[in-house]
Amino acid sequence: MIVTATDIKRRYGAGEAAVEALRGVSVAFPKGEFTAIMGPSGSGKSTLMHILAGLDRPTEGSVLVDGTEIVGLDDNALTQLRRDKLGFIFQSFNLLPVLTAEENILLPLSIAGRDPDREWIRRLIETVGLGDRLTHRPAELSGGQQQRVAVARALASRPSVVFADEPTGNLDTKTSADILTLLRRSVDEFGQTIVMVTHDPESASVADRLLVLRDGLLAEDSAGVAAPVVAPAGQA
Amino acid sequence: MRRVALRGLLARKTRLALTALAVALGVMLIAGTYVFTDTINSSFDRIFSVSLQKIDVVITPDTDLSGDDGTTVPLDASLLRKARAVDGVRTAEGSVSDQNGTVLGKDGKPVSQQGAPMIIASLNGPAFESLNVADGRFPKTADEVALDKGTADKEGFKLGARISVQGVAPRKRYRLVGLTTIGGVPSLGGAAFATLTLAEAQRMTGKQGRFDAIDIDGDPGVDPRQLTARVRQISGRGTVVRTGRQEAQSQSDDIRSNLSFLSTALLAFGGISLFVGAFIIFNTFSITVAQRAREFALLRTLGASRRQVLRSVLLEGLAIGVLGAAAGLGLGIAVASGLRALFKSFGIDLPSSGTVILTRTITVSLIVGILVTLIACVVPALRATRVPPVAALREGVALPETRHSRLAFPLALVLTAIGVALLVLGLFVASGATSALSLTGAGAAVTFLGVALLSPRLVPPIASLVGAPLQRLFGLTGRLARENSVRQPGRTATTAAALMVGVALVCFAAIFAAGANKTIADAVDSGLRGQVILQNQAGFGAFTPAAGAAVKQIPGVEVVSPVRGATTRVQGISGKEALAGIDPAGFQRVYRLTVVKPRTPGRNAIRDLPDNGLLVETGYADDHKLKLGDPVALKTPRNGLLRVKVSGIFKDKGQLVGSLVVSNRVLQQQFGVDRDQLTFIGLTGGRENPAVKRAIDARLARDFPQVEARTAAQFTQDQRDQINQLLGLIYALLALTVIVALFGIVNTLVLSITERTRELGMLRAVGTSRRQVKAMIRLEAVITAMIGGVLGIVLGVGLSLLVTRAIDDFSIAFPVGTLVVVLIASGVAGVLAAILPARRAARLDVLEALAYE
Ligand SMILES: Nc1ncnc2c1ncn2[C@@H]1O[C@H](COP(=O)(O)OP(=O)(O)O)[C@@H](O)[C@H]1O
Ligand SMILES: [Mg+2]
Repeated sequence: MIVTATDIKRRYGAGEAAVEALRGVSVAFPKGEFTAIMGPSGSGKSTLMHILAGLDRPTEGSVLVDGTEIVGLDDNALTQLRRDKLGFIFQSFNLLPVLTAEENILLPLSIAGRDPDREWIRRLIETVGLGDRLTHRPAELSGGQQQRVAVARALASRPSVVFADEPTGNLDTKTSADILTLLRRSVDEFGQTIVMVTHDPESASVADRLLVLRDGLLAEDSAGVAAPVVAPAGQA
Repeated sequence: MRRVALRGLLARKTRLALTALAVALGVMLIAGTYVFTDTINSSFDRIFSVSLQKIDVVITPDTDLSGDDGTTVPLDASLLRKARAVDGVRTAEGSVSDQNGTVLGKDGKPVSQQGAPMIIASLNGPAFESLNVADGRFPKTADEVALDKGTADKEGFKLGARISVQGVAPRKRYRLVGLTTIGGVPSLGGAAFATLTLAEAQRMTGKQGRFDAIDIDGDPGVDPRQLTARVRQISGRGTVVRTGRQEAQSQSDDIRSNLSFLSTALLAFGGISLFVGAFIIFNTFSITVAQRAREFALLRTLGASRRQVLRSVLLEGLAIGVLGAAAGLGLGIAVASGLRALFKSFGIDLPSSGTVILTRTITVSLIVGILVTLIACVVPALRATRVPPVAALREGVALPETRHSRLAFPLALVLTAIGVALLVLGLFVASGATSALSLTGAGAAVTFLGVALLSPRLVPPIASLVGAPLQRLFGLTGRLARENSVRQPGRTATTAAALMVGVALVCFAAIFAAGANKTIADAVDSGLRGQVILQNQAGFGAFTPAAGAAVKQIPGVEVVSPVRGATTRVQGISGKEALAGIDPAGFQRVYRLTVVKPRTPGRNAIRDLPDNGLLVETGYADDHKLKLGDPVALKTPRNGLLRVKVSGIFKDKGQLVGSLVVSNRVLQQQFGVDRDQLTFIGLTGGRENPAVKRAIDARLARDFPQVEARTAAQFTQDQRDQINQLLGLIYALLALTVIVALFGIVNTLVLSITERTRELGMLRAVGTSRRQVKAMIRLEAVITAMIGGVLGIVLGVGLSLLVTRAIDDFSIAFPVGTLVVVLIASGVAGVLAAILPARRAARLDVLEALAYE
């Protein structure tokens, strides 16, 4: 297992206005699996993903990434974790407008002060199909092309797991399909682990496994492993 | 990461330029001041070393107690005979060089009316003379004069011309026989330099049989330093013996210390401007950090550590600092010659042989500029590190409320309190001018900071105040402008605070000057009983007593009572003190000094001032615990001690006399002072009389053009003119600070517009016209500027109340007109600052603006 979450609870705010975004979720992600998380808006998908990625802290529960407990790590350790193990793809691409496509792809490596593995980067660029656009700035690229750059960026440091929050949310159907194929290929060809949040069943069908969240609880898991559908309160 | 920071900067060139400019202007003044004064100093160094290069050893009077105008008690001729007898002396010669001369131009007026000295010097023997004759020859008879080429050219004098010179002796006409240069330059810092034969120079300056310096040439092989030691043994008290090189050094040092006041003042203005620049930088960085929160969050999710984010923001600061400081340095070097031109236009032609740029100028300018920028962007940079990575995934993130911003209000109160405390300490407690000045300066700076931090809370009410009339005038546009200005009170506050500093100082200067004018007017009103005052036409400096004597002969003139001045040290009290001399007999008929109790019964303390008596001003007596009858010892220029007793304590509302007064006879005998500083004249009947005044003017013009007669009103006006001239210079220097603040407004507006692109697009989409958009931006700028104006005026008034309180007998006057003008001007400044941003906002393409992300 690359990521294991046990009995995650997340409450926002306090007292009357408190929101229970997650009410006890346990789930594990094996290596090389493409998981889609679905659920109605406000069901806690993003919250779960943020917690799995160490971007947010659960009120209760534990998260192991590659065997390391990440709940309670300090900022430096989390930074190191992001450098070594995690990749992100965003709904709104989030490229730096001042850098070229290639520079954007290499950004995580230059931030970490690592030399890129040239052969790997070449293969990545070939896979995402951006060979002739490398010197362009994001403003000169279409949405689909920008998201390809983002995918390449997420994969550049060969992370243990890539988290994607609605990566096709801002794209038309045709381009969405391209990006999903790309993600699928990275799982099949490179053995990449991917956790993707989406509300589009079409997109989810590309994944190996489907999780459905409802009201902060895991309602369905197509793999049917490792997670009770309902975790009664007080039982952990 | 580095690339991200630097590319980011280049992508926003307008902001980069405006922010760098905020530093550049302050650095410019600092670098300019250094280059300016270094150039002057090095030119004087050269002149002095040339003029003393032929001299091995020189004897001069001790200058410790020289007068304000550099007058010293001349050396006796007997010293020359003694010097000639010293073993190892080959030749020795006495010379005269007197700064209290007057040379008349073709128009019959003194050639220098702006304070550049006019020097009467004796021609030295060929062994010592350092002047060169560029044209003609040196004077040979008592009717001939040589003039420095600079002055002769300026006045259009050709060889053979008739030139009038006046010193202690009345005006005399000489024939111009030579044009001189020194060290290759035609003019010594704009001074007029008239060379006469030795005997004639002595007669003209009232130094018959006496010298201002004795120049000595040693026998071959004699070490000047050993010779100096030997000469010192015969030179006696109150003299200084130096080698030629030491003397050159000492004269250079004198110039340096005279200029250091000027350079300190100019540097202070540079510092103020940088202080304001720091606000601008802080604000610009705060805004851009907020706008780029998503970018920082993204970098964090991609693995950037907090430190990396911090470093990238600081790197941007460093880049801006380097750019601004380098630009400032370049501008400063350019401006230095501008400063010289400015001074030249005031008639002060400071010598310059090539621009001098010392390493110190470069290092200080760069370091100060860079440091100020970095310090200003530390807080925004820290704020950038607090952006949580998850912000990259969430829509509409705001920067988290930091500990810093929660503590801002109490911190602001504490800072303001500390600032005011420092001010009070500096003004009322500290002794010693330097510590008092630096405490007061630091206090003002801290107070400004404190108020700047407080001002986010003050912005909404002031915005309503100044915005209300705008809203009434401009309707919805005015309302939106007001709402926009209070949307981010912190941002508006910092922008306004930058302007506040400049406005506060302008108001302070204006109020202070108005107070000084009133104080002088009150003083003349309540102190002066005579109708006419004689003074040196230069406005300061001593003049020949023969002028007063001549005026005395005019019918209608009843009393002529001169006040003279010397410098002394009071035994047991540190520092120098001015010592005034009066003619006790007639003094009270022309000037009012109120004698304070206790008085000696049966005697008038002033009229009956004995030779061993000293009058002490009441404030000075209180400060130093002097009572009637106390013995006081005064140091004389010849290192003697004059022992006197306090024979009266007085109050001087007119403040023209000073703290310590003896009789003119004592001043002459003990201090060698024989020239007048101010001469009060009482006319018959004690009333002004234009006919008599005209007669006095005519008499002076004939023989004593150096001296001018002023009525009380003219005298007051003269002082006023001087104060107002100074005020003008201060305004000019503060303008720099205000300009920096205006760039700040431009910068903030440009950034806010970028932020509100969508909103502006929406406004345009629903039918707002370009003109309305422009008006809205302009009004927002006006409101911001007027907030700065209001805060500045309030602070300026407070500051001046505090400072004037600290000065004895200072009348307070509020130049209400000026303050209103300042307020209106800050509004107008807002309009100016809005030109560029308003144009940008109006140019926005509606569709593009709506699609903008
Ligand atoms: N930072 C936050 N502060 C308060 N409430 C939050 C925060 N983030 C999410 N929530 C709430 O938690 C619940 C789950 O949100 P989220 O995980 O974003 O849902 P989804 O991504 O499934 O739409 C929602 O009710 C949302 O309003
Ligand atoms: Mg979501």
